[in-house]
Amino acid sequence: MEGNSLIWLTLGLPILGFLFQGLCGRFLDKTVAGKKLVGLLAVAPVAIAFLIGVMVTKSLNPSKAVVVSSIPWIELKGLSVPFELRIDTLSMTMVLIITGIGALIHLYATGYMSEEKDFARFFAYLNLFIAAMLILVLGNNLLMLFIGWEGVGLCSYLLIGFWYEDIANAKAANKAFIVNRIGDWGLTLGLLLIATLVATSPAMQGETRLFSYDVIFQHLPKILALNPAMGTVAALLLFVGACGKSAQFPLYLWLPDAMAGPTPVSALIHAATMVTSGVVLMNRMSMLFETSPVASAVVCAVGAFTALFAAIIAIGQTDIKKVLAYSTVSQLGFMFVACGAGAYWVGMFHVTTHAFFKALLFLGSGAVIHAMSHEQDMRNYGKLAKYLPITFGTMMVGYLAISGVPGLSGFYSKEEVIGSALAGDLALTGALEVGKWSGWICLIVAALTAMYMTRMMWLTFFGNTEQWRKLEPHHGEDDGHHHLNADHKPHEVPVSMWVPLVVLAFLSAVGGFYLAQGDRFEHWIMASQIGAKVPPPTHPEGIPLMALSIGAAALGILAGLAVYFKGLPAKEGWDESLWAKFRLRARDQFGYDRLMVNSVTTDSAAFSAAANSGFDHGVIEGIGEGAGNLTKSLGGIFNSVQTGLVRMYASVMLIGVVALVLYVIVSFGGVK
Amino acid sequence: MNGVPLAAFIGLSLFMFSTGVVGVILRRNPIVIFMCIELMLNAVNLAFIAFARYRFSGIGNESQGAAGQMMVVFIMAVAAAEVAVGLGIIMAIYRLKENIDVDELNLLKG
Repeated sequence: MEGNSLIWLTLGLPILGFLFQGLCGRFLDKTVAGKKLVGLLAVAPVAIAFLIGVMVTKSLNPSKAVVVSSIPWIELKGLSVPFELRIDTLSMTMVLIITGIGALIHLYATGYMSEEKDFARFFAYLNLFIAAMLILVLGNNLLMLFIGWEGVGLCSYLLIGFWYEDIANAKAANKAFIVNRIGDWGLTLGLLLIATLVATSPAMQGETRLFSYDVIFQHLPKILALNPAMGTVAALLLFVGACGKSAQFPLYLWLPDAMAGPTPVSALIHAATMVTSGVVLMNRMSMLFETSPVASAVVCAVGAFTALFAAIIAIGQTDIKKVLAYSTVSQLGFMFVACGAGAYWVGMFHVTTHAFFKALLFLGSGAVIHAMSHEQDMRNYGKLAKYLPITFGTMMVGYLAISGVPGLSGFYSKEEVIGSALAGDLALTGALEVGKWSGWICLIVAALTAMYMTRMMWLTFFGNTEQWRKLEPHHGEDDGHHHLNADHKPHEVPVSMWVPLVVLAFLSAVGGFYLAQGDRFEHWIMASQIGAKVPPPTHPEGIPLMALSIGAAALGILAGLAVYFKGLPAKEGWDESLWAKFRLRARDQFGYDRLMVNSVTTDSAAFSAAANSGFDHGVIEGIGEGAGNLTKSLGGIFNSVQTGLVRMYASVMLIGVVALVLYVIVSFGGVK
Repeated sequence: MNGVPLAAFIGLSLFMFSTGVVGVILRRNPIVIFMCIELMLNAVNLAFIAFARYRFSGIGNESQGAAGQMMVVFIMAVAAAEVAVGLGIIMAIYRLKENIDVDELNLLKG
């Protein structure tokens, strides 16, 4: 194979890995060196896929998208959908993130999951997840996008519910899947609408590859110019899909629950891959969103609100992974603000840096959880820095990066987000400058982010006391996971787990700086957006952006230190001060989750019970049984005639024959 | 052939048929019912033959009269087969119930 066809290997290797793990892993696992071998064969496909991805990326001409076609898939009259991959700067960026960070997470997982009995099943799912995500970003037509989209949905369900014997985990998996169905509804309708718009356009006469990006993108601007309203509808529908996968406001509620899955899964799904697919979609379809100021304004507003809302909730969380989960939701809001403001490449920039530091933070939290016997409540941590030096050091880098400390990766991307929103002119509805408002909100959220992350770091690694020493001998109910007691001695993680931490810490530290130099990332991503407008400036005039964002980060960190410097309040949040009340409400997501879940479960159960007794029993069964009873009673009339007496039947026949003969004689006037 | 009019044959056929019908309706023994059915069939056969003979002879198209005679052969063949089956059923019923009174045999009641 040469050149770009190598990309098939990138896609094929994780699929092979999945097949191997699924078919043989279980048996290999039982042999002596089984776990090591299974782990190696799970990491290798992803790692090799990454190396191939690097080769393909190096040989890529950024200004030209390459379409690698293969077998035909759907062939109908006037429509052909081949299996085809699109290699451009956008897709290759995602490929590198998915396989690169994916490989690190796989490596980490070989350590983290080493005690699990379903070791091979776990890696089968992980490999399949990588493959589905690659199809999503690499596919060159709407249908392959859809396959990948649904594929990651399936894999997230399998992975979140990996510990399926625990009912809470199974419920979280169901929730993720069901909430995502709402998003997929929007995505499906949006894709169908685009396909319909394109296929019915006269410009497409004679073209059969109606779903392929290279065909669609050629004609979409002209088609949408004729029918801008349809463009807005399609863009909004796609955004519903993006809201589902990328956990934006109405549909975010699956993501915090998804923390029930193993920590490597949280890192993979919630930092580097699936949740960013919404941003990828918006970048891919940027042409569509650019034609619609209304849709852009909606994207901006939803993103800003989600960022603020999730950041506030994060302050109230005590579970270390939940803090990170809401932080992810909040950071995704940032990305959407950038996309809504028209700076699509900034969205991707934040995706990239976020993948570095959020994967790092998730894996770091996994290391802490690992060290603390699966205890996830930060209130039971404290002073862990001296026990876990590597974890502490790497997480510190991630923490400073997400807080927006200058020089680290988060600073650059976050500043670009805020700058593009403040300077942006795309997200306008009438006189309301949604973009500018979102920019200011993002600035506030940046300070909040620094604050809740400070809180998390301080409670975990500093504080005055080792909180778990105060635990009662038999703490909580014994569910097999929590063995934390006063004599517990935290231990640093094995080498397979800290190597990824160190690599990710390095990337978090220098990645943003490297990519921001000379607008490197901007030129890179913009090259893939054919026909896109010039992005809005990311450094608005008259606003000292750099000072503002550094100020926000500093303010947040200081605020966090001020509240938590003395360590944890004896029982955080249970006292009755005003602040504690707020924190309790925040912890509860202001009742939003309960409202949504109840409306789906309890209320809809009541509704369906009412429908069952009223409509189903009354009307539907009435119709059904009525028809049956009618036939029965009609039959009953003739039932009495059927005596079974032969002679009576014969008499009846005779009467019939005589009547028939009489009829013939009367009507035909007898035999001539 | 001369002298006996067609009406005589038809009258005889009518008499035989009516006798058969009355027998089928009134008798309770299935054997007798069968014999009455035979009587009805033979009445029909007689009518066929008579019509074939009288209406199609001497006018140049005797071949058409053969149709009526063919019918008679058919009826006799089918009647023979039917009686064989019917008697078999009656034998089976008798073995089962030791009774062949048709008024007692109402298993096929609806």
